[in-house]
Amino acid sequence: MSAVLLIEDDDRIRLSLAMALEDEGYTAHAVATAEEGLAAQRAHRADTVLIDLMLPGMDGYECIRQMRRDDDVPIVVVSARDDTHDIVAALEAGADDYVVKPVAVKELAARLRALRRRARTVTAVPAAPTTSVLTFGDLEVRPEAGEVRLRGEPVSVTRTEFRLLCELADHPGLVLSRQQLLQRVWGHEFGDERVVDVHVGRLRQKIEDETGNPRHLVTVRGLGYKLQP
Amino acid sequence: MRVWPIGLRARVSAAFALGALILSACVSLVSYESTRNTLFGERERAAIRATYYDAMVVGAGLNSADPNVLEAMLALDTGSDRYVLVYWEGRWHSRSADLAADGAVPVGLQEMTASGESGAQRIRRDGQPALIVGIPLLGGAVFYEIFSLAELQRTLQTLALVLTAVAIMVAAAGAAVGWYVTRHALHPLTAVAEAARGIAGGDLTTRINPDTEPDLAPLSDAFNDMADQLSRRLERDRRFAADVSHELRSPLQTLEAAASVLHKRRDTLDDRSAAAITLVTAEVARFQALVNDLLELARSDRPAHREQVDVPELAQRVCRSRSLPADLVEVAPGTPRFWYVDKRRVEQALGNLIDNANRYGGGAVTVRVGAGFLEVDDEGPGVAEKDRTIIFDRFVRGPAANFRGGTDGTGLGLAIVAGHAAAHGGDASVSERPGGGARFRFTLPGFETP
Repeated sequence: MSAVLLIEDDDRIRLSLAMALEDEGYTAHAVATAEEGLAAQRAHRADTVLIDLMLPGMDGYECIRQMRRDDDVPIVVVSARDDTHDIVAALEAGADDYVVKPVAVKELAARLRALRRRARTVTAVPAAPTTSVLTFGDLEVRPEAGEVRLRGEPVSVTRTEFRLLCELADHPGLVLSRQQLLQRVWGHEFGDERVVDVHVGRLRQKIEDETGNPRHLVTVRGLGYKLQP
Repeated sequence: MRVWPIGLRARVSAAFALGALILSACVSLVSYESTRNTLFGERERAAIRATYYDAMVVGAGLNSADPNVLEAMLALDTGSDRYVLVYWEGRWHSRSADLAADGAVPVGLQEMTASGESGAQRIRRDGQPALIVGIPLLGGAVFYEIFSLAELQRTLQTLALVLTAVAIMVAAAGAAVGWYVTRHALHPLTAVAEAARGIAGGDLTTRINPDTEPDLAPLSDAFNDMADQLSRRLERDRRFAADVSHELRSPLQTLEAAASVLHKRRDTLDDRSAAAITLVTAEVARFQALVNDLLELARSDRPAHREQVDVPELAQRVCRSRSLPADLVEVAPGTPRFWYVDKRRVEQALGNLIDNANRYGGGAVTVRVGAGFLEVDDEGPGVAEKDRTIIFDRFVRGPAANFRGGTDGTGLGLAIVAGHAAAHGGDASVSERPGGGARFRFTLPGFETP
């Protein structure tokens, strides 16, 4: 059983979504405010978090930022807003994925599964003796160990960022399109490419000296991204 | 019959011309009259002086010992334009025989001279103006002299002609000045016209700087006011559509989740409840599509967000996402791979056309990518000539949709295609596919320039 924390202020949505998620095999803990959500996550850590953006008191963006400080739990935003501005802001705050209401429960479950599967590959594999190291100049990626090092120093990345980096590191010098990355990292067959762009931006802040002039994670105009030494 | 309105410039020029004409005509008339009076007056005085002199000569001849009228008259030095008449001893005497003497002298003048006074009078002789001066002589004789004024008349005619020509030229100059002045006066209005074009073209931030033409400030202020109001109203409408859709989304999420809970348990329900739940689930899905389409349409007048897009690849992806083979996509020779278009909107427009073909046209048979356009062919019943434009309006469904009950679509799909094409400056159209069926097409001008 996988535990989901649902932060949603609309009573009816909270109730119906919790029921529907339980039907899909999750245990759902539903709360109405960001503050309750943060407390609940500290008390009983859920495997995934679903959060609305428009909340009374602390809003969803701030809640995501605070939760991200000490937790790399996959966070999915479920919001009625679909403006680019809102989507990008939520992703930059640290969300892993974004879905617009109304979302079909089946699709939501599929996205949560993709995030959990990904999360398990990182955490469930103990430091194997055959730890491989993918080196790109001063950047080292250890897929099995779940480690990223820049000039020997460990870099703290979220699971989604790590998974994205591994996907690029597995194809050194090869261009991967945003759609390919969406499919491989997020499990979306067809989705919003802004999710990829924002995650690439977040990664660059961690592994590049100059985010405006990246050396490792470069954009190939019109095609996608590639990782290079 | 249509009456063409007369333009402002034409009216101002005509007014200038008329003013100039009236002014120059007045000046011409006054100067003509004064010139005429002066010339006639001088001529009259000269004639009277000459007549007195001649009368003296003739009077002297008549008072001699042997008076001979004809000789006395012949002694006078008269030119071709002077005629002399003498009334003496009850008879008229003339130098030339053709002069009908008594007819030439007006009765009034005869009476005047008979009473011993001299006088002058303007007459017409042989259709020409002339002046006759009569001076009584001693012994009941009267001396008359007729001066032709034809030459003076000709001079005055020439003057009149010249003055008329001047008046006409001044009027024409007035019209030209009017035309020129209005061109300069109307010049600031081109700025207004340009701003209006900008607003019609979708740039609602266009304003006129009221400082550039202080005299037109009321107009610029009114225009800017209108633009403000317009953009406020558009913004309000847009926000309303967005708010409505947003407000609809929350209850829809509840419906969707609750329906899915029920749907999961439909096997435990009786047949009627299960059927009802199936209907609710399907309608929730349609409602959801409708809300999304409405929101999309409310935003479709936003400018396209152009970026470099691999369009053939995008078309294949759209096909795959609808479980259609990617080799349905046909790329016309010479079509560039990368286009500068709004990726999301092109994807949605193409998807809508393919969905449309699947729903009403028996399935898409070809998706064609050509330079700056995308086409979707189907083998359905096609679209009747009269429906080919209205089919892109909102909530319009073709006969094929009605025939099939029209339960699937939202009625907004093609309107969204048209909206997305328009955002790129293109358009959407439908024609007959050679061999039967419909061919939907939308164009994306400017796809080659970043």
